[in-house]
Amino acid sequence: MNIVACYKIVPDAQDIEVGADGALRLDRAQWVLGEYDLVAIEAAAQLAAATDGSAVLLSAGGEKLNDTKLVKAALSRGADELYRVVDPALEDADAFQTASVLAAALRKIDFDLVVCGEGSADRYSQQVGLLVGALLGLPVVNATGSVRAEGDALLVERVLENEVEVLEIAPPAVVSMTSDAVLPRIPQLKDILAAGKKPVTTWSLDEVGGIPESPVETVSVKAPASIARKGIVLEGATDENIGELVSGIRASR
Amino acid sequence: MDFKKTEEQELLLDSLKTVMERGNFEDYFKECDRNHEYPQKAVDALVEAGFTTLGIPEEFGGTPTDTLTQVMVAEEAHALGYPSLCWINFATEVDDILTFGNKEQQEKILGYALEGKKPFTLGFTEPQAGSDSAAMATTATKRDGKVYINGNKTFNTSADRAPYMLCVCRSGVNESPYKDFSMYLFPMDRPGVAIEKLDKIGNNMCGTYEVHLDDVECEESDLVGEECKGFYQLMKNFEVERLTICAANVGMARCAYDEALRYAAQRMQFGKIIGSFQLVQEKLVDMRIKIENMQNLLYKTAWKKDNGESIMIDSSLVKRYTGQAAFEVIDDAMQIMGGIGYTHDCRISRLWRDQRVYRIMAGTEEIMVHTAGRALIKEAQ
Repeated sequence: MNIVACYKIVPDAQDIEVGADGALRLDRAQWVLGEYDLVAIEAAAQLAAATDGSAVLLSAGGEKLNDTKLVKAALSRGADELYRVVDPALEDADAFQTASVLAAALRKIDFDLVVCGEGSADRYSQQVGLLVGALLGLPVVNATGSVRAEGDALLVERVLENEVEVLEIAPPAVVSMTSDAVLPRIPQLKDILAAGKKPVTTWSLDEVGGIPESPVETVSVKAPASIARKGIVLEGATDENIGELVSGIRASR
Repeated sequence: MDFKKTEEQELLLDSLKTVMERGNFEDYFKECDRNHEYPQKAVDALVEAGFTTLGIPEEFGGTPTDTLTQVMVAEEAHALGYPSLCWINFATEVDDILTFGNKEQQEKILGYALEGKKPFTLGFTEPQAGSDSAAMATTATKRDGKVYINGNKTFNTSADRAPYMLCVCRSGVNESPYKDFSMYLFPMDRPGVAIEKLDKIGNNMCGTYEVHLDDVECEESDLVGEECKGFYQLMKNFEVERLTICAANVGMARCAYDEALRYAAQRMQFGKIIGSFQLVQEKLVDMRIKIENMQNLLYKTAWKKDNGESIMIDSSLVKRYTGQAAFEVIDDAMQIMGGIGYTHDCRISRLWRDQRVYRIMAGTEEIMVHTAGRALIKEAQ
């Protein structure tokens, strides 16, 4: 089975600074692979190994996608090769734009399954996987806890609030994994060294048909104002304490 | 001159951080320290993540890795709180066996090294032969086609867990001790081997033992390398082994410094953070200078080794300096922490107990003066 895992590189959350006006400052942030996408890569690598198939990676983004360390970080996790669409216009692409570019790139790749993460580690819209499936006209499942091949079909477990749906779908298809579906591997030195030798294909925006206009206008992205901890501790689950907790929460809204 | 780590080194260190974060071992190490237990859970996590393979030749299942990278990894592990004397990358320790051992010895020892199990305890120091290694009195006597080992070894790290002893013995052939030592490799469960635990002040997670050898029967094929060349064989590797020890020094110092720095930046006294007082700042600045100096000297020495240059003098300089400087940094870190630093709740107290022996073991800091000092004068003559 040929599997494509999609990933996004994002500023490391612990390096993001919030300005006095609530604006996010990313200039001192290290860029890393989105933590939810590591799950997608791992799930793809495991399924490829189980089906004697191949796992490849796909990403769309700005110039930072060319960073050789980030490429090695991605390819040291079990996938065989990497495709990327790189353009400065993709740096601030929203979910629809990103999904459109990924869908166009996927038309150039032979695959049975596309695996996405639960959401991006920066905006966490949780839309890209669903949009990619819709744009390609393929079956698409989110909240996927596991996926395995059963004959010609895919057995997908969809984790809902109180139940697990088991779906049988015909490939090709698109799934988005839950954040705890699998534990991403820890790359060993031999994996890291091998990653530097794996093939990488770079496409320009033109080669995938450009980027569509976004139907959504982003006015600003700001961090919520932080509120100092009140430091109130209520000891013991008594009715009185519970009442005080509830009225305290109400009063602070 | 490029001081930047390679991308591969950075990614490998990221992997190490992930292992340590996922394991969340700080409380576990505290418990192991308190109970004098080996931190097997942390060892297993590092083995699974491939850290035992670094520097072991590919033909034995390892990943060729330069000395500098091995040093950086060992340093980082200790900086993240990994306990000293429990490090699991044995590539430098097994070098003697790789260079001088026979095929069977190599396969056994390298196999244990990859499993993260200390393959052998080194039988070198004896009660009457510490820095004065020529005074070693353990004998290897040939009789009826066998070799019988008799004597007492001491300060044997992990003699309870190591499956083998690499034992340096007098062969009774040459009068000069240095031309008479031979190395034998034998299993610790052979009849005649008895161990006795030493009660020491730190490094509780790793037991240290006296080993009594009473007519331990060996085959002639248990000899490692050549008869009467044991001392020179051992010396070949001592310089590089020292670098792993030095890496632990730098790591432990960083661990203590990081904790003290964070504390100084938030601990309030007299209405201010204590980091705003210049007496505390002076300590932090001097600690940082020592850490930078230790790293620079250590990395440069490892780099020289990787580039085929002699580190005969450098390895003594770096052993002496990192032992002393790390001790000073950790001691100052404890001072900054105040009373909390002296409690078992704070890991600086463990570092303070554990690091002290690094000024003594594997060549005391005074012997380092002797080895480097002599060589420096010789260079000038």
